[in-house]
Amino acid sequence: MPDPISHDQLQPIDLSDVLSRIGGDTSFLKELLAIYFQEYDEKKRLLEEAVTRQDYKQLSELGHSLKGASANLGLARLQRVALSLEIAGKGGKLQPAKEALRSLEAEVLMLKAFLAENPLT
Amino acid sequence: MKILIADDDPVSSKILQKNLENWDYETVLARNGPAAWQALQDDSLRLAILDWMMPGMDGVEVCRKIRRRKRYKYTYIILLSAKDRKQDIIAGLSSGADDYMTKPVNFLELRARLKTGRRIIDLEDKLLFIQNQLKDLASRDSLTRIWNRAEIIRFLSEELERGRREKKPTSVIMLDVDHFKKINDFYGHATGDQALLQVVSRLRRKVRRSDKIGRYGGDEIVVILPNCGPTEVRSVGERLRLAVGGRKIKTEIDAVPVTISGGCATADAGGTPSPESLIKTADRALLAAKEKGRNCVIVAGDGRERIREQKNA
Repeated sequence: MPDPISHDQLQPIDLSDVLSRIGGDTSFLKELLAIYFQEYDEKKRLLEEAVTRQDYKQLSELGHSLKGASANLGLARLQRVALSLEIAGKGGKLQPAKEALRSLEAEVLMLKAFLAENPLT
Repeated sequence: MKILIADDDPVSSKILQKNLENWDYETVLARNGPAAWQALQDDSLRLAILDWMMPGMDGVEVCRKIRRRKRYKYTYIILLSAKDRKQDIIAGLSSGADDYMTKPVNFLELRARLKTGRRIIDLEDKLLFIQNQLKDLASRDSLTRIWNRAEIIRFLSEELERGRREKKPTSVIMLDVDHFKKINDFYGHATGDQALLQVVSRLRRKVRRSDKIGRYGGDEIVVILPNCGPTEVRSVGERLRLAVGGRKIKTEIDAVPVTISGGCATADAGGTPSPESLIKTADRALLAAKEKGRNCVIVAGDGRERIREQKNA
């Protein structure tokens, strides 16, 4: 099913979505984002290793896990990139996996920049 | 109420935890399948939210394992997954989950669904409570509230088996109120019942916690004494006899002098008598005590009982 919203139209974080699910608690959201970034650093390391070893099962599992964490925080763009990692892993495709990993890094940087410009209050 | 959150994603787990704690649940966290399974060994954990995809063992597998176990109380399981196709939902529920929710979770919906879970658990608790009451009712004598004959034989056979395994003796004392028929005839059955209740209450105070006391029939009371040899059983028997016969029993009509006689038998560590034959041996010793003149205790295998057996032969 094609998604009517193109990737570029998406905000790095859908604040109204995530805040609605955590009772509008922005300080809790900050805490969750800190956990997310910490988790991302760990997963990124594992993903790089998985690409080197061509461990596709690991790739798809990590992709799936990142997809869930991203969805929980209203990070729709990251959710999509994580999904493409999962799919590349499942299909055993190395080149798309490498590309998805690079997009992942770009998206995280974009999110960090967005949060720096739009601090949570 | 305690609830397990099994989710490998720390963000999702944290959000769930915060919400559940706001709703007054006590949360237990697990980050993978084996840890979830380990946590669920705690019988007081009756609600579980399991993420489908988890390392080690997935939520569906944990679900299947929970449903396969027998002795535990019911665990209400909500399976979480990003998979939202009909066939995934069906597969999830088929593994034994009670409910299925897609991620990211809508918390108002989760809260409502957990209420359903609690309703099921409450229903099971009520059922178990009534089942226990019925079981108790079926194992006890209706007048004296001590164990009934079937229960005491069941217990004796278990203890004999254990004694054989652990090489420990098991003893039985068969007690009988002296001239109980005369008490009934003279004072009436209501007074007879009152006297019997008093006898039982005096006996109960003198047996160990590990001993089991039951009503074998009419005015016959049996005491099963695990890990008790012939010397100890004699002194216990004497103690019981004195506890009952030491002073008169007050009933609504009159203070009635009541004594008991006892016959003891021991299955020593090596022997493997059936429960019925051990009770029969104790019963023969009881008959010998009655013949000796009542208000006394005889241990099977001592001189007097043998004389009686020779007389019978």
